[in-house]
Amino acid sequence: MLLGVPLTLHLVSEGAVHATGAVYEGQERLPHVQIRYGLVWLCLGIPARDIVDFPETRESDRIVCTGGSVAVAVSGLRAVENFLDLGHLAFVHAGYLGEEPHTEICAYRVEPLVDGGILATQCRVYQPRPSPMDSQGFDVDYVYAVRRPYSVVLFKANPVEKHRMDMIALLVQPVTEERCIAHVLMAYPPHNVDVASLRWFQQLIFGQDRPILENQVPKRLPLDPRAEISVRADSSSAHYRRWLASIGVRYGAIPVASA
Amino acid sequence: MSRWFAVSASREIPRGHIAHTQLLGQELAVWRSASGELNAWENRCPHRGVRLTIGSCVGEELRCQYHAWRFASGSGQCTYIPAHPTQKPAATIRARAFPVREDGTFAWVNLAPEAAAAPPPDPGIARALRSMFVQAPVAELRAVLLGGYGQGSVTATDEYTLLGEPDLEFMLQPVSDRQAIVHARLRGHREGAERLAELRHHNALLSAVRDRAEAAA
Repeated sequence: MLLGVPLTLHLVSEGAVHATGAVYEGQERLPHVQIRYGLVWLCLGIPARDIVDFPETRESDRIVCTGGSVAVAVSGLRAVENFLDLGHLAFVHAGYLGEEPHTEICAYRVEPLVDGGILATQCRVYQPRPSPMDSQGFDVDYVYAVRRPYSVVLFKANPVEKHRMDMIALLVQPVTEERCIAHVLMAYPPHNVDVASLRWFQQLIFGQDRPILENQVPKRLPLDPRAEISVRADSSSAHYRRWLASIGVRYGAIPVASA
Repeated sequence: MSRWFAVSASREIPRGHIAHTQLLGQELAVWRSASGELNAWENRCPHRGVRLTIGSCVGEELRCQYHAWRFASGSGQCTYIPAHPTQKPAATIRARAFPVREDGTFAWVNLAPEAAAAPPPDPGIARALRSMFVQAPVAELRAVLLGGYGQGSVTATDEYTLLGEPDLEFMLQPVSDRQAIVHARLRGHREGAERLAELRHHNALLSAVRDRAEAAA
């Protein structure tokens, strides 16, 4: 199901798929469907632009893999916001992506992306086990790029190659306004990496997030800055909500009440 | 609605415990601090909306499970934000606390922000029976009880309070439009096997009330 529309996917041959059963706006339609990055992509309307691009997946030495798909009973916009969130790492992912007493979130930069979306840079957090390959902790530099309302990519400093970054993309399928499936795409420089460990680690992390997300009330993301209190550590979340409101996103959101 | 509702037997919320309940559609985190102070808060953190009932009680504070923000028993004032450990949280950051009272048997909540300070009447020594959750509107539950309870008749004191025979009091908690809880207590004191027999007797009667209300709904 996508955006409340039930669909059936048919694997035609290796690498080819088509979708049927989509009835929306009163008539049956054939959605646009593609396979890319090992994931099936659907568009119910007429695509206005191409699927979001991840150039890192074309670097020939990188390990590129999907990381599993996790169904979460919350708006996909809340799931994206959680992925951007730094303040929960020391608590929800204690022992992996953070730990006490390293709870402080120092100021970081958030700016708009030229093609729409937001970029958060200069994020730095102490992580005891930043990836399945690391056995000791260090201060990790993070960069987030929210490229579409439901597509966000995280770059983490690679411990071996200082000039390259691990890529973890969160691609959220809005099932309904209050349910989503979070798909993960990864592209790692090839140092002590194996696909099974990468997947195990991502699924562990998502398993820690899920019970939190499913206890968010309301399930949809409120875009009014007065609806939920933000502090400086929530800068990327505040920018994300403002950007969603500015481009008129309503699905899975609670719009700003007009005065 | 400025009215007091019983939401739990006091003894069901020991020190350090956080209980989930709902009153007129409002989800509540009813919790007791280490020193014994009772709180009834809106069941969501004002930061990112996570239910406070999945958090934990730390001394005189409730700690949210998501970002470990801490909120003070009594006022609901945020006392600590770990992301900014050296800054004092703004006075405007607080969990929404509802007026709460105890009368020796039950915890009572009023959803009006400035509720009258008058606590519900103190019945003296009383023993709480099992609170029974019913999948039926509170009106159905009330109608079934007014039809009689065991061998005794029941009369209404007001919309949500009923009296049974002998020395029996029922307090109705409207959970939502379609759900309700009946809390009940008996005046006086009883112990041991007598108390156990009494609990069993009323458990059967209250279960029958629930079944009739659910069948009617």
